[in-house]
Amino acid sequence: MRFLKGKKPQKSLYELQEEATEQNKTLKKSRRAGSNRRDRRGKRISVLYLLPSILGVLLFFVLPFLIVIYYSVIDNPINGEFVLFDNFVMVFNNAAFKQAAKNTLMFSATAVPLAVVLSMLLAMMLESKIPFKSQFRTFFLSPMMVPIASVVLIWQVLFHYNGMMNEIIGWFGKDKVDWLNSAYAQVVIVVLFLWKNLGYNMILFMAALSSIPKDILEVAVLESASPFQIFWHIKLRYMSSTILFVTIMSLINSFKVFREIYLLKGDYPYDTMYMLQHFMNNTFGKLDYQKMSAAAIMMAVVMVVIIGILFITENYFGKDVEG
Amino acid sequence: MNNRRNRGKKLVTIFLTLAMTALALSGCKKSGDSEDESKKKEFAYVPEYLQVDFGISSENMNVSSAVACGDVLYLVVSSWGEDSGSQFSLYKYNVAEKKTEKFPLEIGENDYINQMAATPEGNLAVMLNRTSYDTDENGEISNYSSRIELKVLSGENGSEVSTQDITEALGGEDSYVQYFKIDGKGNYYFYDGNQVLHVMTPELKMICDISTDNWINEMVVSKEGDVYATSYGESGLELKKVDLTTKALGEKLEGVSSGYGNWSYYTSASKSILVSGEQVGIYDISSKTEEELFSWLDIDVNSNYISQAGELSDGRIWAIYNDYEASESKVEILLVNKVKASEVTAKEEITYGTMGLDWDLKKLIIDFNKSNEKYRIVVKEYGADDYETGRTQFNADITTGNCPDLIDLAYGSYTMYANKGILEDLYLYMEKNGLKKEDYLENIFKAYEVEGKLYAMISKFYVTTTMAKQSVVGDIQGWTLSEMLDFVEQNNPENIFDYGSRSSIFYYCIYNNIDEFIDWENGKCSFDGEDFIRTLEFAAKFPSDEEINWNDREGTYSQLKADKILLLQSSISSVQNYQMYKGMFDGKVAFVGYPNSERRGNLIQSAGGCVGISSKSKHKDGAWEFIQMMMGKDYQENMSGDWGFPIMISALEKKFEEDMTPEYYEDENGEQVENMKTSWGYDDFNIDIYAATQEEVDAVWALIKSADKMSGSVDEQLNNIITEETEPFFKGQKSAADTAAVIQNRIQIYVNENR
Repeated sequence: MRFLKGKKPQKSLYELQEEATEQNKTLKKSRRAGSNRRDRRGKRISVLYLLPSILGVLLFFVLPFLIVIYYSVIDNPINGEFVLFDNFVMVFNNAAFKQAAKNTLMFSATAVPLAVVLSMLLAMMLESKIPFKSQFRTFFLSPMMVPIASVVLIWQVLFHYNGMMNEIIGWFGKDKVDWLNSAYAQVVIVVLFLWKNLGYNMILFMAALSSIPKDILEVAVLESASPFQIFWHIKLRYMSSTILFVTIMSLINSFKVFREIYLLKGDYPYDTMYMLQHFMNNTFGKLDYQKMSAAAIMMAVVMVVIIGILFITENYFGKDVEG
Repeated sequence: MNNRRNRGKKLVTIFLTLAMTALALSGCKKSGDSEDESKKKEFAYVPEYLQVDFGISSENMNVSSAVACGDVLYLVVSSWGEDSGSQFSLYKYNVAEKKTEKFPLEIGENDYINQMAATPEGNLAVMLNRTSYDTDENGEISNYSSRIELKVLSGENGSEVSTQDITEALGGEDSYVQYFKIDGKGNYYFYDGNQVLHVMTPELKMICDISTDNWINEMVVSKEGDVYATSYGESGLELKKVDLTTKALGEKLEGVSSGYGNWSYYTSASKSILVSGEQVGIYDISSKTEEELFSWLDIDVNSNYISQAGELSDGRIWAIYNDYEASESKVEILLVNKVKASEVTAKEEITYGTMGLDWDLKKLIIDFNKSNEKYRIVVKEYGADDYETGRTQFNADITTGNCPDLIDLAYGSYTMYANKGILEDLYLYMEKNGLKKEDYLENIFKAYEVEGKLYAMISKFYVTTTMAKQSVVGDIQGWTLSEMLDFVEQNNPENIFDYGSRSSIFYYCIYNNIDEFIDWENGKCSFDGEDFIRTLEFAAKFPSDEEINWNDREGTYSQLKADKILLLQSSISSVQNYQMYKGMFDGKVAFVGYPNSERRGNLIQSAGGCVGISSKSKHKDGAWEFIQMMMGKDYQENMSGDWGFPIMISALEKKFEEDMTPEYYEDENGEQVENMKTSWGYDDFNIDIYAATQEEVDAVWALIKSADKMSGSVDEQLNNIITEETEPFFKGQKSAADTAAVIQNRIQIYVNENR
């Protein structure tokens, strides 16, 4: 072996391989270190950007909820003595609360399915080739644009003892009905709720219908599937997440119907119109925060359970169509 | 390049974030900012009362008008005496030198100074009404003449500079000038009784007549020399400039305290206009801003006694102060000095929360603040701007620990507050401080008791009741609802009350008797029962509000006398008050009260506030000191006015003794003749009241003792339900049974909810 003067001896293949492995390790290490630094910085920035929202959620949702929990376990906001579940027991045994819970449940159980089913039918109807589609769409959406105070005024004109409805039934020789002070009161409110909410739900369903892949529908037609089979096995499956969303929104809106009832009949309406929010609103006015909080927590628990069931149902029916 | 762009984006983002944050936080600024607060802390305002010697007994005089010119006040003093009759004099008062000088203006027996104003030259223009007439031996008046003279007097010594008869210029002898002002150019402004503002040059040549749509309430000259007028517009009282170019009132001034408060406007020395209501401020027209100086209440001055005000050249505020309710009424000039806050002794502050400050309590609070060395009461008036918002805030303060130390319980639901543990039991304080229940009218305490505890104290009261002729109704002290209905149906009168409408009669039957229809123990109501339905049908027999003839009607007394009406709803607030009703009922009056299942329908109503102590107060001792003052012998025996009885038995007895003590005067034959104490009137009935007899006092005693329930304790929600549902029934749209069923249904929820 000859060695040239002043030059290093050449490395063997093994040595070169070793060197390369070491270099790779160092490079990976430095890359990992750089990536860790970037990750940490990224996390810090993410936290910084999320901070206002987190603070907002803490301040406007979490903190009030904690306060409500606190109020629900004390005797009253002035004395502040801890009474554990006494308020829950007291509220649960209160006849007005029971009445309100029953009415709210009845109302939601009637109005929400109707709002979902009717708006879906309307959406499907407007999807098909019928004349005056856009006019119908506008017609069903228009109640959304009317301010609630005007809606209530219209309803008062319609369902007042001397209102239009009684005029109409009078033409058929029927006696006047005190719509807002009788067992019919909740029917009036269900109609009002549907009138106000169908348009919005319908638009959501129309969007869901238009997003169903056309090729699947065409294949189903080619395979001689009946319209019902197409609706049941394809459309309904693809719309399951929208149905869940519309149901949750309608459920939430059904609790908000208090606003209309309050404007129609004040704090103490006829018993069939007395909702949970009346109970909470009135107890708040009378400084019975403990009663109000206990009722609110019970209502929240029921809402969570219902929404949980809805999610499980949607998961069960809609999992095979989710991407 | 990319870096630069990114940096630019970052800068924009930071700028937008800061801008958004600043915008969001700008909403957090309070009306009284920190600069104002620190100014307030640095300085304090202290009142100084100047006794001006006019050489007239203070009981027989009044300052009817005042005008400031620099630091000199010109005062019109009216005085009266048995021999001299009513007289007017003009005085000059130098505030700096505290020197009074009477001006040599001759004012005849039948003359009076109507108005006066300062001229730009520092003279005084006086409008003197001169009346003359002849009277014959029968007392008939002839040759009646009424002239208005405008006299300009030297501001220096009151010597006459000029005199002009302006009667014709103002529209003749029947004319009347409501307001008179002089602007910076010397033009005269006369506002007459026909809503016309006459503007004339200094030489009394007509410039224009301005007709106003709304009645002018007040006129003021700004520091700049312009004349402004106040009148009620869409948003309450509005201040508008008298514009001589357009010959009309201009746009309303923005930024000045106005609206529905009790505002007055005066010429200011430092800025344009001095504004005085419960607050005092100075308004600058150019910047349209008002600087708040102080509140009369905060400096322990009762604004009810202030008649005129202004600002001196050194910035001190002056006012004419007349405590006409005091036992020794006197007119003083009030000067408000601005001093360093450190010079004023600091006291512990007690908050008094109220929706609207009661007249008597305001006076009492000021007296307390003046006399108490340790505590001072600060009033927090929740309902000053908006009642509903105020009430929500009041409730929020109560529940969040920000509760006032003293709570005015005249508003809102006393029982609700008592049941929530918000209030202290005052019986414990009475016991601790040696105040005996038996020294007071215990039935009054009973009326305010909740489960054996007393949560509120009243200082005086009156009894709300219903009266009937004893000869018709018999010697009874109360009745149940069915007894009352039977009685009216048997007698079959034209009406029960004067102006008795269906709704008011129904109100009378039900509202103070509502507990008869609610069984709180078992949570049941009986509004669909026979009694309620009978009451509805009974009330429906009477005319509706629209059917009642409000104009062409017989007087109440005549109707009672002819048995056209059976009852009279009213209240008894004094023995004299009772004497009048006794006269109206021809000697025998029965206080049957409101229908009530226990036949106890005479109700207690507070006549001077209703106060409780917060259970969360940090100054309970101080708060009790105030209540003790309300109950104290000194206040109870010397309370002003005839409206209401004291709650202390000895004070009530003393008052009765005074009522029974006759007053005499000597007639022309030198004989002592009993003088009437006062005279009272009710519609078509008038009576002179003399010293009460023992029998009359006993009757009032019996009435007071019969009342042990509080008036107005029905929840507003119940009122609303009943009023709303009975309306269609009274209009004949629904049957009584249907109406009762709906009321029953709605009130049942209320009852269930509140158990």
